[in-house]
Amino acid sequence: MFVADIRKEFYEVVAHQRVALLVAADIDALCACKILQALFHCDQVQYTLVPVTGWQDLGTAFLEHKEQFRYFVLINCGANVDLLEMLQPDDDAIFFICDTHRPVDVVNVYNDNQIKLLIKQDDDLGVPSYDDIFRDEDDEEGDDSGNESDEGSEPSGKRRRFDEGAVERRIERQRAKREWEARRREILFDYEQYEYHGTSAAMMFFELAWVLTKDTKDMLWWAIIGLTDQWVHDKITHMKYVTDIATMQRHVSRHNHRNEDEENSLSIDCMRITFEYDLRLTLYQHWSLYESICNSCYTSCNFKLWTLNGQKKLQEFLADMGLPLKQVRQKFNSMDMTVKENLREVIEESSNKYGMKDIRIQTFGVHFGFKNRFLASDMVHATAALLESTEKDESDSDNFIKALDSLSRSNLDRLHSGIDLAKKKLMAIQQTVASCICTNLILSQGPFLYCYLMEGTPDVKLFSKPMALTLLCKYLLKAFVHSTRNKRCKLLPLIMAAPKDIEKGTVIVLGIPPESETSDKKK
Amino acid sequence: MDPSEVEFLAEKEIVKIIPNFSLDKVYLIGGDLGPFNPGLPVDVPVWLALNLKQRQKCRIVPPAWMDVEKLEEMRDLERKEEAFTPVPSPYYMELTKLLLNYASDNIPKADEIRTLVKDIWDTRVAKLRLSADSFISQMEAHAKLDNLTLMEINTIRAFLLDSLNCMYKLRSNLQPGSSKGQFTDY
Repeated sequence: MFVADIRKEFYEVVAHQRVALLVAADIDALCACKILQALFHCDQVQYTLVPVTGWQDLGTAFLEHKEQFRYFVLINCGANVDLLEMLQPDDDAIFFICDTHRPVDVVNVYNDNQIKLLIKQDDDLGVPSYDDIFRDEDDEEGDDSGNESDEGSEPSGKRRRFDEGAVERRIERQRAKREWEARRREILFDYEQYEYHGTSAAMMFFELAWVLTKDTKDMLWWAIIGLTDQWVHDKITHMKYVTDIATMQRHVSRHNHRNEDEENSLSIDCMRITFEYDLRLTLYQHWSLYESICNSCYTSCNFKLWTLNGQKKLQEFLADMGLPLKQVRQKFNSMDMTVKENLREVIEESSNKYGMKDIRIQTFGVHFGFKNRFLASDMVHATAALLESTEKDESDSDNFIKALDSLSRSNLDRLHSGIDLAKKKLMAIQQTVASCICTNLILSQGPFLYCYLMEGTPDVKLFSKPMALTLLCKYLLKAFVHSTRNKRCKLLPLIMAAPKDIEKGTVIVLGIPPESETSDKKK
Repeated sequence: MDPSEVEFLAEKEIVKIIPNFSLDKVYLIGGDLGPFNPGLPVDVPVWLALNLKQRQKCRIVPPAWMDVEKLEEMRDLERKEEAFTPVPSPYYMELTKLLLNYASDNIPKADEIRTLVKDIWDTRVAKLRLSADSFISQMEAHAKLDNLTLMEINTIRAFLLDSLNCMYKLRSNLQPGSSKGQFTDY
């Protein structure tokens, strides 16, 4: 069932109990977890944090902690399967699920005692109504006792009926039942055929913090990172992203207004969040502008930088803007101030000429101390790289903890190492895409496109993780669509396979929807 | 004594907070606290104030002396005088550090205050070093230093005591003849 008042029905219930937090391995879940941890620290709630990376992990984690906990909070996992069926919990276990995966399984929606969904009910869910899917089992019995509740039942009146009347009515009921079942299957099929994502979990928990008036700028920043993660990994549509940004913008102005006076200015170490209409070049403030343009999905695909022609176009573009090559190849922080001043507007003007209309995107940036400036997308890339780092001797839960730590302001060196890893990852993606397109590794298999990364490909270890592979996949599809003249390619989905574990010989397979789909309902 | 011990002692000082929760009077060994009512200022020790601030249950009101003009005056006075001037609070350094670390968003012009307090500290410690240096080199028997805080004393304690001990050993070894002579005579 949906939780109506998140404070009373969720927070006040768990505040005096020991809670198990089962958190999925994506950045939105990490941010939501950080916010919830901060709230728990304020109220000294005891909790156990368990990272889970898949359905099996969820099952084993649950089995391990089943005896000790009654209350489980699941973040970004568990809403789209029948949880009670899968986990077989005891009758007094209560699950609070805050998950962005949609569609929410109907059993989870309509279970009143054990499953509570921390999801807003107007969040574009389209859940079928109760009567369309469930019905009481009383009418299985053949007698006419008059307490049937299906749609095809006729009003009961007399107790004694003629035999033929009874048989007729039974046949009538069975036919109605078959019709109802057919309609139910159709409704469920429509409901469950497309998968998409809802409002970010981090934003839900930030709203909880706001209702409790314990929201701080740190929590606001984490909520923004959670939302940006959904956009960077293409989980929500652009419309939804813009709407959610507007919501966050209201919170940001509320915080900024509260803290800045003319006379009593805030210490330089305090966190300042600002709304930016910034460039879509990934990590450009921590890299050189040239590298960033070469390795960002948007610019690279539009210029077709894997061809010679594309490189020439890039040089033209830079010359058109009047940026000297020496400046552009330097670290961004060391570029001349005169060059940096109107950089965004200059780039936007020039990119309009080259057909890139949305080079700027609405986002937020944070600024604390004298030298720390980060954009939300920078943090997403850094944390994602830490979460999925494939260095030796690092287990999944180590990576999870490191990524979680990098989100705090006090662990800046971890964040910087994350940024370095993210740069390597982006360069690896760029090179793999270039080689795949140049060597025609993408095959058309009828209704879909297919690509398989061989084991010997450089940096293929990086792509054994789901999020990195997703980024590669989307990049590759976009690049492929830009590089062929075949119009049909825009309508085909792409399936990608990469080796997951060389010793065990497993392969990770990923499919993404076609390039031209703009609705959020994806297969 | 460790600087962290001095900080621990400093946390007993009283500071004013404005809570956002309500609680009845609390009876602790060190004294009574409260009652707490949202929006009404109450005096609590610094350790409790910091704990509540970290749990977002209160807002800390900076002490009266933590103000830019007053600190500027004190700094100028300190620079003029040769002796030590009276301090705003016996634990001014620790309180500044604690409050500015955890509650800098409640204290206006926090950066300037940090700089001013550091200036005052530097001047006083320089005077202390000068005084200790002259004490040792001129082998004075006693000195009188007013208005020193525990933290400042703590910075010089180990050095001063050790060096005085060394000086004593050196001095007592300078007169071996007389003491030994006495011994053999006897």
